[in-house]
Amino acid sequence: MLPKFSYVRPDMLSNAVKHLQAEGAALHAGGTDLLGCLRERIIACDKIVSISGLTELAGIKTTPGGGLRIGTLTTITELAENATVRTNFPGLAGAAAEVASPQLRNQGTVGGNLCQKPRCWYYRGDFHCLRKGGDRCFAMAGENQFHAIFGHDHICAIVHPSDTAPMLVALDAKALVTGPQGERTIAVADLHVLPAVNVRAETVLGQGEIITHIEVPPPAKGLSTSYRKIRARQSWDFSLAGAALALVREGDKVVRANIVLSGAAPIPWRSREAEQLLTGHPLTDDSIAAAAQAAVAGAQPLRANGYKIAMFQGMLKEELHKVKKGKNEEAG
Amino acid sequence: MANDDTIYYTAGLPVPETPAEGQAPEPWQQTDLIGKPLPRVDGYARVSGSAVYPSDILLPGMLYGAILRCPHPHALVRKVDSATAAKMPGVRAILTGESMETQGVRWNYQDRQVALFDAHCRFEGEEIAAVAADSWYQAADAVRAIAVDYEVLPFVADYEKALDQNAAKVGDEGNLVGEDSHQRGSVEQGFAAADTVLEETYRTSSELQTPVELHGCVADWDGSRLTLWESSQGVFAVQSTIAGVLGLPLARVRVIGHYVGGGFGSKLQPGKYTAICALLAKKAAKPVKLLLTREETYLCVGNRPPNTMRLKAGVTRDGRLTALDFDCIGPSGAYPAGGAQLVDWLVRDLYRCDNVRTTSRDVLINAGPARPFRAPGHPQGAWALEQMIDELAGKIGMDPVELRLKNISETSQGRENNPPYTSTGLRECLTKGAEEFRWQSSLAKIKEFNRQSAHVKRGVGVAACLWIAGGGDPPSTVIVKLFKDGSINLNMGASDIGTGTKTVMALVVAEELGVQPSVIQIEHADTATTQFATPSGGSKTVPTEAPAVRNAAIALKQELLRMAAEDLQVDRQELVYTGKEIVSRRDPNKKIPITEITRLKKRGEVIGVGYRGPNPEGKAVTPFAAQFCELEVDTLTGEIGLLRFLGVHDSGRVMNRLTYDNQVYGGIVMGIGFGLTEERRLDERQTGKLCNRNWHDYKLPTALDIPREMASLPIEMGDRECNNTGAKGLGEPVTIPTAAAIANALHMATGIRFTSAPVTPMEVIRKLTRREG
Repeated sequence: MLPKFSYVRPDMLSNAVKHLQAEGAALHAGGTDLLGCLRERIIACDKIVSISGLTELAGIKTTPGGGLRIGTLTTITELAENATVRTNFPGLAGAAAEVASPQLRNQGTVGGNLCQKPRCWYYRGDFHCLRKGGDRCFAMAGENQFHAIFGHDHICAIVHPSDTAPMLVALDAKALVTGPQGERTIAVADLHVLPAVNVRAETVLGQGEIITHIEVPPPAKGLSTSYRKIRARQSWDFSLAGAALALVREGDKVVRANIVLSGAAPIPWRSREAEQLLTGHPLTDDSIAAAAQAAVAGAQPLRANGYKIAMFQGMLKEELHKVKKGKNEEAG
Repeated sequence: MANDDTIYYTAGLPVPETPAEGQAPEPWQQTDLIGKPLPRVDGYARVSGSAVYPSDILLPGMLYGAILRCPHPHALVRKVDSATAAKMPGVRAILTGESMETQGVRWNYQDRQVALFDAHCRFEGEEIAAVAADSWYQAADAVRAIAVDYEVLPFVADYEKALDQNAAKVGDEGNLVGEDSHQRGSVEQGFAAADTVLEETYRTSSELQTPVELHGCVADWDGSRLTLWESSQGVFAVQSTIAGVLGLPLARVRVIGHYVGGGFGSKLQPGKYTAICALLAKKAAKPVKLLLTREETYLCVGNRPPNTMRLKAGVTRDGRLTALDFDCIGPSGAYPAGGAQLVDWLVRDLYRCDNVRTTSRDVLINAGPARPFRAPGHPQGAWALEQMIDELAGKIGMDPVELRLKNISETSQGRENNPPYTSTGLRECLTKGAEEFRWQSSLAKIKEFNRQSAHVKRGVGVAACLWIAGGGDPPSTVIVKLFKDGSINLNMGASDIGTGTKTVMALVVAEELGVQPSVIQIEHADTATTQFATPSGGSKTVPTEAPAVRNAAIALKQELLRMAAEDLQVDRQELVYTGKEIVSRRDPNKKIPITEITRLKKRGEVIGVGYRGPNPEGKAVTPFAAQFCELEVDTLTGEIGLLRFLGVHDSGRVMNRLTYDNQVYGGIVMGIGFGLTEERRLDERQTGKLCNRNWHDYKLPTALDIPREMASLPIEMGDRECNNTGAKGLGEPVTIPTAAAIANALHMATGIRFTSAPVTPMEVIRKLTRREG
């Protein structure tokens, strides 16, 4: 049923890296995605390297100034429930709480959530698609209502399934990575890969590289964060259209706006156009409408996912109005 | 031995009068157990995990089976090479179309007979070969190692194009399975008499059957005798089908199905997998367990067909329906299976209308065959008819509850000779439901809410229905056995598919005999040890079995009265059965405890046999319902939030209030799936293959998708005619009007008619922005 594989569970990170360098080795953390991938034969794998024994990679630490250092093995539930996360970055706790179902959140890890495989039904199903080494993306001419409206470049139309990744991008988080060449730091914003760059990979991680921690910088004064997710059913589902917002305001004025869309593109999709329109001004009905419009301006919808344009626009309007209203309430 | 206190609950309470032999019992008046909210007799076993489902069966030396299925929607199998698979570790038996064991084994899809492993595969998932191995993993790996040479053929997946000239031919005789029609009066005259005429086309999607317990069985041969444990709604249906396929006498096929983890129609019959499992076990000379994977169940075990329905309706300005003109089309799948079956029934039968015309066309496509799915045809028909009624009400400025009340029928117009219903609670479902739901005041509140709210809009909706079956039928034979200590064995063939059959039947015995339900041991769903019963489906298990159970308990009482008359040396007519004892009417000192009856003590047991009598002649036994819902729509994002639901059902007497309400809530949840989340997606434009074959991509509603506030209001009309228990079927009407009620509420909230189900947030946004994609 599953491919034949060997299994190792090293007790040192360096050994895990060593084992993972072998061609055909796959990393196991929470396993919620890996087991499905093995069963569906969408990854070739003859060796499982489990990092579940590396307990030093679990848990959340608060850094000076109120930032976070999140171990890669931290469960999604822990992220959703952690007091510091909830106080300083409610949007991140909210994004974690929106992931999958309670069972999957209890088992799934933060690192795994960033590195998960796409949920495209052609990729997961019995279709030899481009991402699996085939010669075409079935979603282009097929059933593409759940697919990308940005960044597909008519090559591959997956959407990145993570809820936490867009929020971490919006928070300027960094991934600490250990690999055969030692340690390096990658902005979460640079972690994921567009099909035009490499249609066979979802992240820039090389063979043997492991995300060990995620660092979230301390919250700026005036930061408000939120994550919103629209889906076809209310639990155990991925985003039809979602947005991670991180806005920094001084008084009424927005001094920094990070807007990252989920369910939009093969990677967490940063909406620079909308960010620019909001930055430097107070939130007004007009600026909100303009930003929501700008966020979808460059969309390239496929046959059955054009609805996403209006959905993203409506959702951004609603969310930005909530931020605006929240601010007024605070002031009042 | 048990003492009296643990056996008799009555202690002074009257038990129902025992009728003289040959006389029908009176309806129950006051009941002590029937209708009360009592827990399930097998609740502990189900919750604790001690209940043994077919999937749990483990036999010594048991092997595991797996099936190789065609990955194409339409293909010819040129060659099957299982040489590599045969050499793999643990492999004990392989079956292909070439195997000796499968020669001459035929499978029936209604009137079409095919080979068990047919080289002409007409849908994705058709069976090509099978393996039994020491472990399931080995079996699955061996299946993967079987090499098949396919000639891939053109396919048709879009049923609306199945009858096109250039459509691929699914069957050898073309793609039209058949046409059905009904006509009464003249729709032309009816439309001429109408003040308002509307016409609309409605679409519903295919729902896939996905019971929690997978389809499958365990097969074990003892010489030439086969025993099957099958996850089934009816063990006798499995027995007769498999005996027929394998050419065995019924007596050599024993089927056991004590527990079943969900069945909504797809388990009314065995599948090819059952026959394959039996043949694997025979070839390997070991027991074999064969459970389908979730993906296989999505491909192969049946579905509610998608339907396209056109409905034209006329109404006078005072709310009288003058004409209904309906046609629909739907696909059976790759073999005849009722693709448009009963879709028109509500149009024919629900409302009083003299001029009705319906046509239904059933076509073949290259996809898994349909199977009856909880109220076949009816939720689709309700989706069309109940939205049309709502629309007509709006056009003539009448309340939709009121318009329905103006068109209530006392007779079943869809049937020949227009027979009266034994009871119809449709009026009460609507009026009492509207009261309970606070329909009128809700309308005003919603108007005010929508005036103040910028983009979140609310609506309420109502829809009604009936269910064609649900009256139950003969045959049924039930035995109630009394042990000499007063405890009871209830022996019946029916399956309890989770609806509470065992509980209800135990309550009938307990009520009638005055014993505690806990001393009733139930033997059921075993073709070797229990009596013949039809499968649990059609909402007919309670109205079919409960009257036979009651008759068996009465027969037992009559037998005890005869025996006591001998002991007491009095005329049998003089004696009354009181539960604990039998007493003379004339002389209260003349009495005998049940357990002291001489012949009972000598024999060790006394039995009563009950049969299901005929239904009342010239009448239709029909359950009715109305459901009400309130919801809100975020018009910026397309999200729908269900706020509350009320199910108002006339299913005759409530037999157990807990299992009754469970059915209502479960039916509403399933209806929510039909209306809002569930749809089969075929890759119509490219490969014809199924896109959503797991529980993530095929979206059943979750706990967060159902309203927090759900209520059930039973309507009991005191039907004395339907059968001797007064109960009508409940399991299917509960899911019929749900989606239509949602659609009507959506219309009130948004002003938009959502004519295609399911109404996802995607669909809401498309309609709000008037775009196709």
